[in-house]
Amino acid sequence: MARSTSMNRRTVLKGATLGAGSTVLLARHGRAAADKPQYGGTLRAAYQLAPGALDPVVGRSGGDAYYWRQFTDPLVDADPALNPRAATSLAESWDVSDPKSVTLKLRKGVVFHDGTPFDAAAVKFNIERLLDPATKATPRAAFGPVESVEALDEHLVRFRLKRPWGSVLGTLADRGGAMNSPAAVKALGADYAFKPVSTGPFKIAEYVSGSKVRFVRNEKYWGRDEAGNPLPYLDEIVMNIVPSETVQVSALKAGELDLVYLPYREVSNFLGSSAYNIQSFEGGAIACTLSFNWAKPPMDNVNLRLALATAINAEGINKAAFFGRAIVAKGGMWPTGAWAYDPTVPRPSYSITKAKEYLAAGGKPGGFEMDALFWPSETNTAFAEIIRAQCAAVGIKLNLKSAEVTVATEKFYYGGEAPMFITSWSRYPEPDWNASLIYRSDGYYNAGKVKNEKLDALVDEGAATVDIPRRKQIYRQVDEIVLGQALMVPMIYGVTYAAAQKTVMGVENVFGWDAKMYLHRMWLKKG
Amino acid sequence: MQRYILRRLAQLVPTLLLITMMVFALMHAIPGDPARMMVGAGDSLDEAQLAVVRREYNLDRPVPVQYAIWLGRALTGDLGRSSANQRRVGEELLLRASVTFELGLFAWLIAAAIAIPAGVIAAVHRGRMPDLVATLVAVGAVAMPGFWVGIMLILLFGVRLGWLPTQGYVPLGSNFGEGLRHMVLPAVALGITSAALMMRQMRSALLEVLSLDYIRTARAKGLAKWSVVIGHALRNAMLPVVTVMGLEVGRIFAGAVVIETLFGVPGMGRLMVQAVFQHDFTVVQGCVLVMASAVLAANFVTDIMYTVLDPRIRYGG
Repeated sequence: MARSTSMNRRTVLKGATLGAGSTVLLARHGRAAADKPQYGGTLRAAYQLAPGALDPVVGRSGGDAYYWRQFTDPLVDADPALNPRAATSLAESWDVSDPKSVTLKLRKGVVFHDGTPFDAAAVKFNIERLLDPATKATPRAAFGPVESVEALDEHLVRFRLKRPWGSVLGTLADRGGAMNSPAAVKALGADYAFKPVSTGPFKIAEYVSGSKVRFVRNEKYWGRDEAGNPLPYLDEIVMNIVPSETVQVSALKAGELDLVYLPYREVSNFLGSSAYNIQSFEGGAIACTLSFNWAKPPMDNVNLRLALATAINAEGINKAAFFGRAIVAKGGMWPTGAWAYDPTVPRPSYSITKAKEYLAAGGKPGGFEMDALFWPSETNTAFAEIIRAQCAAVGIKLNLKSAEVTVATEKFYYGGEAPMFITSWSRYPEPDWNASLIYRSDGYYNAGKVKNEKLDALVDEGAATVDIPRRKQIYRQVDEIVLGQALMVPMIYGVTYAAAQKTVMGVENVFGWDAKMYLHRMWLKKG
Repeated sequence: MQRYILRRLAQLVPTLLLITMMVFALMHAIPGDPARMMVGAGDSLDEAQLAVVRREYNLDRPVPVQYAIWLGRALTGDLGRSSANQRRVGEELLLRASVTFELGLFAWLIAAAIAIPAGVIAAVHRGRMPDLVATLVAVGAVAMPGFWVGIMLILLFGVRLGWLPTQGYVPLGSNFGEGLRHMVLPAVALGITSAALMMRQMRSALLEVLSLDYIRTARAKGLAKWSVVIGHALRNAMLPVVTVMGLEVGRIFAGAVVIETLFGVPGMGRLMVQAVFQHDFTVVQGCVLVMASAVLAANFVTDIMYTVLDPRIRYGG
């Protein structure tokens, strides 16, 4: 079977240097790597939100990954640039060369935490479970191309496809690719949502409602490190639910926690201190983006969209709302570090003169007034206000309307209630997720459901193509249209910062491909 | 007395019904399709799945019918399952409510323990230094928002001095000492405003009583100053203070929503905040039921306390 790992050398290298924000960090990182991992200990980490559910398939909160990632392995894992990574995958190899099917060769000797063997029948059970509407599985739509699943033999499984599935590998790296024990699912019914049984390096020891999730080492774990030592190194992980970022940071300083992600306002204090291990991940999110309803006046006018996008000085937003610790977006909705990221595509950039020219071309030389929706948070409120002030400078008067995030999202994309939405976006390095959902005419996040035939054709071609260099070309063309017509214009790419006590080793591996915590490789230095 | 208690108890039922009905109506007044709101915005569930959600939570039926179904099940103790995480609301509430009661009781005791002596001292030393200091501190405490006090307490006692944990919760049952240590800062942050209000009430009530004739008589008999204050004045002055102390139960519950989030205490306040943001109707409804019951119970106990403290108060049947 041909193993399709069509990553190119450049993206691999780019992925490898991710997470090292500066040469200083690189030097630290190098020293840490020289140490021999020690076994044992409890790592105390923190995250803001309680899990929606612990079963990766039914949880609907993006933050659930902080939990399920620790006790699962994906069918096909991905590195931070979203190139497939067989070493940490449940499938040893895969064949995606046939547009009508995907075949996975499964790793042998893997068992679920309850002793149920992981085999082709288990994969079939899992995929059929998430395709059943009654499961209410979050990733069901992403598995839309799957017609049926067959177990060819004990360790060979084939997905029959309705249509070509270019994003298959990226999709299998996400929650739908995490495997649940069929025996436990059948035995527990609805209670399975909080008592999941999977294959990963840790298993759930207890969930204290609203307080913490405690994971313990899976003694039967299949994974090995590069030197052949069994994984994981830690005995336990406690993921504390600490809603306030301020309190997370003070708890780290007080020595009550070992590992947290830093809010932007704290980053400078920590980078200046040598008391902690710090790592960063560029492009961990789209921290600020302008989303337009292309059907709703005045944002149905391409020149007025361009006027607005060029009136905004992203550098100023970065300084004022992100303390200069994020990065100004140079490409589209596929951020730095994703293979689809392309900073050479022409895009609107800050220029008052240009903005005024676009206003004139759009028939509103004196400017115009419109509503803009946003959802309030410390950072979002700050950048929404800055954007309003910057727009006012060219005569565009924004009436900011705020609503809680779910309501605002639904109002804008489903209700069509405003011409513009100022928001942030998760890191979706698999380009088809954004392409199908934002740019395609029937995508949920295409607020005006505007049809652009060329864009639809490109999105479909990208979704059906497996070869990454070819897909890169397709998504470049997509970006040319999206940025050229200001359909959706990211302003700031986020940088995720992790801070850990000096005793925590392997912090350079803390970021999963979505920048969320991945604790499989952490260890604690004693003495 | 017995008849009075029974009548007051009977009055609680319609109040409770009205509150749950209002919350039910409010949750359904959120614009948009409740099933879509429940599963969250976006593309996460498709139409076939939404149909399952509608069936499961009876969203395809009229709101009054939904309320009747909810009420019927609630009477048998079944509060349904959370739409966000599938956990049983009843079990979840039992866990969370006990945490909030622990925190609330602790905060309330701290508040009373500070307020009553401080109020008495301020009244007795009216216009002099102790009164001024107590008044100043009380005005400050009322003006400071609980979450800010909380952050200051964390910085001082958690980070700077390292005496107390900054966040988290340890059940008193599993480790009493640790549980108490974790509870001190949130309870102080939660109780401080109530302490100030109770203290002000204590002071003015005591001043009023101290100016009455029977106190002058007691003094004239040659009784010691403190035995007049404690033995004769305090009991009568407690009446309005008890009212405030009862009302403060409601404030402490409201404050717990913020303080629990700040200190990472897994109580009902936080459960409710999260449920509101997730549009988890069943959980919000359950939380409101428990909180409303608790506040009503506190008011009920306050009423009963009146008759105990002041035998002159007798309620006709």
